Amino acid sequence: MNNLTQMTRLEVVVPARDAPAIRELITSAGATGYTSVSGVSGIGHHGQHSGALLFNEYDTLTMLITVLPPANAGELIDAVQQLLSTSSGVMFVSDTYVSRPDYFQ
Amino acid sequence: MNLILRAQVATAAHDIVPSWPVESFIAVNPLAGHEPRPFETAATPGVILTRSRDSYLADADRGRIVDADLEAALVERVPELAGQLTIGGKSVSALSVAILDLKTTQWNSPAAAEPSALWLDEYLASWVSSYLNPDPLWAMPHKQHGFYRAWRTLARRDPALPRTARRTVVELPVEPDAALAWALVKLGVPAEAVMQTLRTELQHLPGWVGHIKWRAEKIGDIDLLSYLGVRLTLQAILGLTGLPSPRGVVGADETPSALWHRAEHVARSIGGSRADRDDIAAVSRVLATHPVPDHALTWQKAYELHYLATLVDTLRDTDPFTLRPQLQLVMCIDPRSEGMRRHVEVLPGLETFGFAGFFGVPVRFSRYKARGAINSLPALLTARHHLTEHPTHPATAEDHIMRGRTRDALRRSTHRADSGTVTPFAFAEVSGWLYGAISVLRTLAPTMQARIHQFLTPATATLPSDVTVAEAFTLDERAAMAETAVRMMGITQFAPLVVLAGHASESMNNLYQSALDCGACGGNPGAANARASAAIFNDPAVRALLAARGIDIPPDSFFIAAEHNTVTDAVTLLDQHLIPQSHVDAADTFDRAQHTAAKMLLRERAQDLPGASPHSPARVQGRAHDWAEVYPELGLAGNAAMIIGPRQMTRGVNLDRRVFLHSYQTELDLDGAALETIMTAPLIVAQWINHQYYFSALNPATLGAGTKTIHNAVGTIGVLAGHAGDLRRGLPWQSVGLGDQLLHEPMRLTVIIQAPLGSIGRIVSGNQVLRNLLDNDWITLTARTDPAAPWHRYTPYGWTTTPTALKGTRP
Repeated sequence: MNNLTQMTRLEVVVPARDAPAIRELITSAGATGYTSVSGVSGIGHHGQHSGALLFNEYDTLTMLITVLPPANAGELIDAVQQLLSTSSGVMFVSDTYVSRPDYFQ
Repeated sequence: MNLILRAQVATAAHDIVPSWPVESFIAVNPLAGHEPRPFETAATPGVILTRSRDSYLADADRGRIVDADLEAALVERVPELAGQLTIGGKSVSALSVAILDLKTTQWNSPAAAEPSALWLDEYLASWVSSYLNPDPLWAMPHKQHGFYRAWRTLARRDPALPRTARRTVVELPVEPDAALAWALVKLGVPAEAVMQTLRTELQHLPGWVGHIKWRAEKIGDIDLLSYLGVRLTLQAILGLTGLPSPRGVVGADETPSALWHRAEHVARSIGGSRADRDDIAAVSRVLATHPVPDHALTWQKAYELHYLATLVDTLRDTDPFTLRPQLQLVMCIDPRSEGMRRHVEVLPGLETFGFAGFFGVPVRFSRYKARGAINSLPALLTARHHLTEHPTHPATAEDHIMRGRTRDALRRSTHRADSGTVTPFAFAEVSGWLYGAISVLRTLAPTMQARIHQFLTPATATLPSDVTVAEAFTLDERAAMAETAVRMMGITQFAPLVVLAGHASESMNNLYQSALDCGACGGNPGAANARASAAIFNDPAVRALLAARGIDIPPDSFFIAAEHNTVTDAVTLLDQHLIPQSHVDAADTFDRAQHTAAKMLLRERAQDLPGASPHSPARVQGRAHDWAEVYPELGLAGNAAMIIGPRQMTRGVNLDRRVFLHSYQTELDLDGAALETIMTAPLIVAQWINHQYYFSALNPATLGAGTKTIHNAVGTIGVLAGHAGDLRRGLPWQSVGLGDQLLHEPMRLTVIIQAPLGSIGRIVSGNQVLRNLLDNDWITLTARTDPAAPWHRYTPYGWTTTPTALKGTRP
């Protein structure tokens, strides 16, 4: 597709206090980077989440997004699944395409 | 990298609460990991949630808990307890039957357990302590490679291990996750039991484990994976399988009474010999809804409802200030401020407010050219703005700094000489006479010694300076912070002099000094934030932006920072060189008012402070310099409630320094944004503090730090009880008790809000942390829309009118 390279994209939404563990897994999996969005809002399995709070970053939700080669994604997906098995949070996995694959190797 | 194993470690550690170092003590709920579940399910082996049956019965005898409280507690906890019964021809309510059962049925009081001390725990504690100690006599070699790899390299020469084990260490995997995986296989742990094994292992040394979790997130020099790597590989090479779970299980109901026996006893108490089997059966059906293991929590609820009812009865609806006040004092929501506010309000024309002690200005602060900095902001936030000082007279400041550095060098030299291997002998010969004399003076006349010390070593704090708030924040950010503060507090008019008072504690030889400082400032003094806030409000550019947003601060209003010393109760004005001549008289008036208030407050506090006398307030103040004093002040002992509303609700009411007071006016917060900020930040900090005191009081051995008298410091990380073992968590016994008696009444935070119920409900619905705390009974919420409206209680199913205990009269 337009000289793009297929990659796997993971989006994980977890309470901010659980985000360090996810970040640690992402970097341990060899991902070269991630995007972190704090104070995300929405409605989910545990009800409504109002989003960013003025004086509290600890009790909000954080979304972490990372992209890595499909061959490296499997173990990270299993690990995040393990982490989410007993705590709140969601993970979305999808195919994505990047123009500069060397950035993600 | 074994990602699955890393995830399993993270999952096993999910409910472990990070433990901050004692140098910036952050009060936390030690059972916060249980907050998504009901409070009553948080009991774990060795941890108790309630007091003993005898203590509740004693409360009932002295009227601290009355039948109306028990009735209200039962209505709340067991809604199905309704209707009437006929026993022996007498008609009685189901509630009175349950109350009689509560008072007569025996149950074994839960007991707080002593922590266990396995050889492996002692061994690991000494290794972790050596690895993390920031100020060791000998630095651990190979630290730069991480905890597991440093241990693996050094353990081969560790005489504490058997020779065979030392040989095996050499062959262990190099990486911690590989070592952990190897150990699990070697120990024969099946895949499905890995999680439980990791959880069990993390229950040992909970103090160190909590601190490692904090360190992994904030510093990164150690993590739980490497800790478990050492722990499990040691077990594998030493053949230590099947280690006992830490702390024996202590059941709340070890000798359960048979339901029929309970029912028979209650039925005979009511109906005498006329009670027949049908009556007993009817009673047993009632009692079956309230089993004995639930009794302790019902007593606890009644104990808390009694306090709530008493508190609500005392609330007033005094007139607001219609004329412009002459002085305004804004203090931290900390319960200790309540006493000062109440006494200083005796001055006519003085209005007070409660606001989070960091004044909405989250900063990392360092003094002028000082080494190091403090994160002066709530633990809920990350420091992003660095604040420092510019001296008003740079030349004087440089001279001052040079003298300070010379003193520092001298201090470091004496410390080196004192802590070396051989030098202490010579050092004692040379300087012993001087230190001996200082020690005698410090012991016999601590206040005089402090004055001499202060005279000889003036602190940098005495240098006239300005804080660099304009460099730390943009103009828009400063204006937004000022607007937020005004809207959160509900200030509608500004006095000519507005004092913003942070607070700090002052004590000697006190490892828990930080626990007495400002919780909203991350366990640090709040002066820097107060100074920054005052500078923001005095900035004409900020005032211009505020005016455009409908907040008019008169040109003659001047903001000045101050610091409330919670040991001496002095409120000292800071940055006095900034006070314009036009406001000097007002500042003097405030100074006199705070001086009078301090004297009254000291006498009041002396009634509760162990060993103090209301007739000698100077001695209470002298505790700030007494290096032998384990009770410099009582901190937040007794904290029980938080009131969010206008001061008119509480002005003139003695709240016994037990209530967090946050000012709030619905009229200035039409969209509820300010209320949401209060409920999701100051309220959460208050809840952390409240639960820290609650569990430290009930579990001094496991969730508290035990007595101060045997504490030894591990650098600035924490304390050990004695010379080895686990890092102690929570507050020392001297913060919550005296002898074998509690000074602190363990009660879950009662939150009282005056605001539209719809707004409060919307905020709770949108925030999971509040839903967890309220729906699971970790805190309670009582609210009314305005002074004319009835009180309502929040329940998971909506608002209800207040329970009977709130409406009844009590002794």
